[in-house]
Amino acid sequence: MSADDKTALAAHAGAAGAARAHYAGGVVDDVMVVGVGGQGVIMAAAIIADTAMLGGLDVKLSETRGMSQRGGSVSSHIRIGETVVAPSISPGEVDYLLAFESAEGLRLAPSLVPGGVAIVNLQQIVPPLASQGEFAYPFDAIERMRAEGAAAGARAAGGEERAAGGEARAAGYGVIAVDGNAVGEAAGSIKVAGVVLVGALSTHLPFAAETWEKAIAANVPASFLEMNLAAFAAGRHVGAAEGGEPA
Amino acid sequence: MDKVLMLGNEAIARGAWEAGVQVAAAYPGTPSTEIVTGLAGYDGVYAEWSTNEKVAYEVAFGAALGGARALTAMKSAGASVAADPLISSVYTGVNGGLVVCLAGDPGMASGMTEQDDRYFGRISSMPMLEPADSQECYEYVKLAFDLSEDFDVPVMVRLSIQVAHQKSIVRLDETMSGEETGRPAPERKPPDRKTEKYCLLPRFSRPLHISLLERFERLRRFSEQSAADGVLAFVEPAAGADVAAGADAGSGPAALPLRPAALPLRDGGVARIGVVSAGAAYISAKEALPGASFLKLGMIHPLPIEAIRRFAATVDRLFVVEELEPYLEEQLLAAGIACEGKRWFPQWGELTPVRVGRGFFAAGLDLPRWAQEKAAEDVSVIPRPPVLCTGCPHRGMATAMKKLDLDVHGDIGCYDLTTLPPVSHMHSAVEMGASIPMEQGFTRAGGSETGSIAVIGDSTFLHSGLTGLLNAVHQRTNVTVLIQDNSITAMTGGQTNPGNERTLAGAETKPVDIAAICKALGVEYIEIVDPYDYQACLDALKAGLAFDGPAVLITNRPCMLFPRKVGGAAYVVDEELCNACQQCMKLGCPSLSHTETTWKDRHKVAIDAETCTGCSLCAQLCKPGAIAPATATKAGDA
Repeated sequence: MSADDKTALAAHAGAAGAARAHYAGGVVDDVMVVGVGGQGVIMAAAIIADTAMLGGLDVKLSETRGMSQRGGSVSSHIRIGETVVAPSISPGEVDYLLAFESAEGLRLAPSLVPGGVAIVNLQQIVPPLASQGEFAYPFDAIERMRAEGAAAGARAAGGEERAAGGEARAAGYGVIAVDGNAVGEAAGSIKVAGVVLVGALSTHLPFAAETWEKAIAANVPASFLEMNLAAFAAGRHVGAAEGGEPA
Repeated sequence: MDKVLMLGNEAIARGAWEAGVQVAAAYPGTPSTEIVTGLAGYDGVYAEWSTNEKVAYEVAFGAALGGARALTAMKSAGASVAADPLISSVYTGVNGGLVVCLAGDPGMASGMTEQDDRYFGRISSMPMLEPADSQECYEYVKLAFDLSEDFDVPVMVRLSIQVAHQKSIVRLDETMSGEETGRPAPERKPPDRKTEKYCLLPRFSRPLHISLLERFERLRRFSEQSAADGVLAFVEPAAGADVAAGADAGSGPAALPLRPAALPLRDGGVARIGVVSAGAAYISAKEALPGASFLKLGMIHPLPIEAIRRFAATVDRLFVVEELEPYLEEQLLAAGIACEGKRWFPQWGELTPVRVGRGFFAAGLDLPRWAQEKAAEDVSVIPRPPVLCTGCPHRGMATAMKKLDLDVHGDIGCYDLTTLPPVSHMHSAVEMGASIPMEQGFTRAGGSETGSIAVIGDSTFLHSGLTGLLNAVHQRTNVTVLIQDNSITAMTGGQTNPGNERTLAGAETKPVDIAAICKALGVEYIEIVDPYDYQACLDALKAGLAFDGPAVLITNRPCMLFPRKVGGAAYVVDEELCNACQQCMKLGCPSLSHTETTWKDRHKVAIDAETCTGCSLCAQLCKPGAIAPATATKAGDA
């Protein structure tokens, strides 16, 4: 849907109408949140899922499994639509990849659908294994994602002669790098970096800012609400600057 | 209508509370833990973390005998621990309703083995319900309590991890929602006192077995009738009912699809496809092949086999989609119902939509969505396994045992992370309580040249370690046992155990003294060790191994995460002094990392001031003395 269509819809029916229109006809948005245990992936996923529910949609979330508190890779799947069947996202079908840590973004990038969007935090957490010398930490993760996202588009363009220009881009995936920690710190604490990323994501989903804010209020302690809302607003600003279209 | 997003486990807790549960008992175990954690949050429910699953089962069983509605919950491995009362309680039956929640872990997100726990229903003749989403968790557990009292039998609610750990929308009962304290006071039945019903002496058990079989026949008729009524099993026409919304799940009409749609095959033909499934596998099959006709089962023991037979007659090809073993498939085949199952769908791991979809594709269905194998992730990016936390009290002993090159026989707990890099030093970790007896057998077989040791945590020791240690004392087997006492059940997320000063309900209690227990069991060598003192760890291990007779070493530092986060003044590396010897890196501490600066081609090391808790182990290992506490000013800044 184009920006103009979205604006027109919002003007006529409000954001709730926009959400209904967006998901009409069986559209399902698959959002994957990835990071390292302890980064707040579960809370961010809960905010996204609650927003969808408050927006009147069906939603399913598959919770991070296993030993999430111990510094391992973690991921949460959120699926949003009029009707959602399975709680887990199938390979190659992620519409939005929200990566709290850049190497985790690179790891899950192949799961993006053609035309998908990766929103990646600049933060880099080097696992102890990398320090043993057997493995090299990918400090260039975001550059590699940008290159791979573009290359996937180019490959698709080569495969289909008709595809060109914008269509080629749509066949790859886009990468939005966010300095979540710095933006979060400016909002009050690096602990709200995850909510900054949620703010950036919010500009890609058809829910009103007020709906997101309600969901944030339901998931963070009251004493930290103001800081989280500031982080969300800042993230939304980043998202809009990077081409997102707030509902 | 009050809509909430709930984990399957949370929905079980909510439904049980609404059904009037009064007593809930469990031992923590992923993916079942949130059921009893959830129940502890409701008024009017007595909830406890018991010492093990067998004890928990018996507490709940006793509560049912006493006339209350009761619930116990466990993971697959826990059902094996509780198997004795699980089977016996089907003989005796119940008084108040008894519901047994059994959460399986296909894919082994945190289990040690994949076990198809549906066979516990078959071995015991306990009826089993299997919900497919949070809404059904909420509804089925209420139904399970009613069934339990109507049929005088414990009822199992069987979950797969995909159901237990998914969040989906639950529409709460309007009369109960809003006020969590609004539940009417549950009615307790008069306590039961029937010798011939509850005393399993042979003279009583023989007639009880016969009545158990008669009751099972009545359950079979119930299963058929409920399927015919569309109460616990329902047919979905190919037109696609609104299943995920949950509104009609379990209550829709069970009318057979009159004209199931024919689906295209890859060979150009068409076929009417029917799928029999339940639980998580049903959800995956529905996602993978939405055009098929489904017979979705809610009661999986006893099966409504005649309803399945009628459904089978409406389709050209019947598929059975189920996780792990061919539990349903074999029962269908035994009843003479032709079907296809494990030929196409894997017998291991979670059945995700893609794995089911690939199976249907292989079976000849024309499915563009599943035609290609797609990568889920780039596995060449650096591996990131879970690691022991910064400041974890298990690290000191793990490093010392590696230094001494001991054969380490572990148990179930966070210390199992030392099987993985960078520590990579543990040689068995099999099941709860295995460490001490296996170490005895290992010793009787001749032991190892460098020495061997059993390693067990406080919670696991109190769960099933005591009897193993008692055996070593009685047999005079010369074993060394390390109890890594971090004063919490850490791996499942910080649940209380008898070593704590408070119970799950928050009541004050007397923490048990593990050293005193060992002494009472007859152990003559017991040493308390500070695991943050590396030299003390080495010395204690050597002395314990040298002692002639069972020796027990007990560490005394709490978990860094539970019940509260432990912090401390951070340490820093003086980069001038650091000679990049890498001794500290052997600890595998997440707060240590390499810097860009090198010395003799080796990277120097830095400490992350944000996360360092000041345990000082790295400073103790640092030969040039480059690691020291941060100055007061620096600590203040951090």
